Amino acid sequence: MLEVEISGVKLKNPIIAASGTFGFGREFSKLIDLNLFGGISTKGITLKKCAGNPQPRLCEVYGGIINSIGLENPGVEAFVNDELPFLKKFNTKIIANINGFNKEEFIELAKIVSPLVDMIEVNLSCPNIKEGGMAFGKDPNRVYEITKEVKKVSACPVIVKLTPNVTDITELAKAAEKAGADAISLINTVSAMAIDIETRRPLIKMVTGGLSGPAIKPIAVRMVYECFQKVNIPIIGMGGIMNYKDAIEFFLAGATAIQIGTVNFVNPNAVSEIRKGIENYLKAHGFKSVKDLVGNIII
Amino acid sequence: MKLLDVEIAENKMIANGIYLLSFESDYLANTFKPGNFVNILVEKDSIYPLLRRPFSISFVKENKVFIGYKVVGKGTQILSQKKKGDSINVLGPLGNSFLIDKFNGKVAVVGGGVGIFPLLSLCHELKKAGNKIDVFLGFRSRSDLFFVEEFKELSDNLFISTDDGSIGYKGNTVEVFKTKIEEGNYKVAFSCGPKPMLRFLKSLNLPFKCYVSLEEKMACGIGACLCCSIKGKDGNMLHVCSDGPVFDIMEVEI
Repeated sequence: MLEVEISGVKLKNPIIAASGTFGFGREFSKLIDLNLFGGISTKGITLKKCAGNPQPRLCEVYGGIINSIGLENPGVEAFVNDELPFLKKFNTKIIANINGFNKEEFIELAKIVSPLVDMIEVNLSCPNIKEGGMAFGKDPNRVYEITKEVKKVSACPVIVKLTPNVTDITELAKAAEKAGADAISLINTVSAMAIDIETRRPLIKMVTGGLSGPAIKPIAVRMVYECFQKVNIPIIGMGGIMNYKDAIEFFLAGATAIQIGTVNFVNPNAVSEIRKGIENYLKAHGFKSVKDLVGNIII
Repeated sequence: MKLLDVEIAENKMIANGIYLLSFESDYLANTFKPGNFVNILVEKDSIYPLLRRPFSISFVKENKVFIGYKVVGKGTQILSQKKKGDSINVLGPLGNSFLIDKFNGKVAVVGGGVGIFPLLSLCHELKKAGNKIDVFLGFRSRSDLFFVEEFKELSDNLFISTDDGSIGYKGNTVEVFKTKIEEGNYKVAFSCGPKPMLRFLKSLNLPFKCYVSLEEKMACGIGACLCCSIKGKDGNMLHVCSDGPVFDIMEVEI
């Protein structure tokens, strides 16, 4: 009932832990059963170890949080040697989120990681780095070029993660599809800013950061809906999903699977609650599977 | 660590804007070590505040857990209005703990403001281990004082200072500590307080080990979100929630 498929990869349920909110799984494994997830998208990795941005990196605003972590991670070698073996013990699909500061780095990362995981998620949307990330992801030509090159060398399906910080996200979705992406995931965080009126300073050291949480959900649902009209590859939807009702909205808008992020910080049991909620909803409304919900909005 | 729904036993103001909250939890009371903290979800299904809030555990008494906090924003403001019987969700115990040992000589404990909270159980355990303890506590003003009697009982010498001089020494508690270093002949120091205070403490280049409990904004409290990263001495990134909150003061950038 809950099983979904993305380019031949079967997820036992459509809930994926969103990259950047779940570490490498190890941290949450002390608290919840990682087997509950259909998939886990790991903390974004780069070729070399990355220290990330200076403090403060986090602030809270109405309905969400702004972060500027800046891709802090131990680098691909540590990921492969120290983190992957642990994650592989669980019955969940592993999605490696990869980040290059130029095209060559994306290619190199895909070569190293793709034979070892179920899928890779090419992050063309991180708002918190100066080069690469969103800077590439805003330009359909760059999205096309990088996706095509990564696809050539990848041994597993390729998901391209898109940024919402553009005029028309469907242009990026179409570029990724044309270049051979197996799926797209959207949305990454929305560029945002908050100011402390007493000190008159920004609440984030980098001045701007990425907004996540319930505040961005309606934007994300709209973007999933728009992309669903324009591409034929599966869409993984995310952005402010806090409960099963939010998840159902994403399926109706056109998402085949969903990622949950900020909610993991608030309620580590969210995965199990959302799973049960989706199942109950399907039964109550006479649907046989999640697949029946995908894009099943009545306009 | 566990996620626990607990019922508030008491939540009272003990000084100017400073509260002490307690709840019963056999699990937390049995697993707690001085320095540990908890991540509290103040209100379920709330979108502002959205995140959990980290608080150090001040002390435990039988199966009762005591958390001290100061009202500084929306989350703590809502928490301060909670009454006996209200439910909150607690994730803990989190983080590492202070080193408890029988030190061959005197121990100095230096606390400022709400940083004083985690030091009470520390002093209790240090005393139990057979140590002599000098305690230095800094407050803004006389109306901000709390736990003075408790620390008096646990310490061999207690030095109080206030920013405005309304009680005790006038000025910074580290300043007072500095004047006592030589005669104190300390073997180790423990501290928790605001960053400027800890920076001052670090600048003293103490001739003995000094362990500090740090604070940073955090989302998950378990090392996954990487919001609370700080730089270690060798440039390595450390996380206040999972590598700390207690660090050797010389091993971290403050």
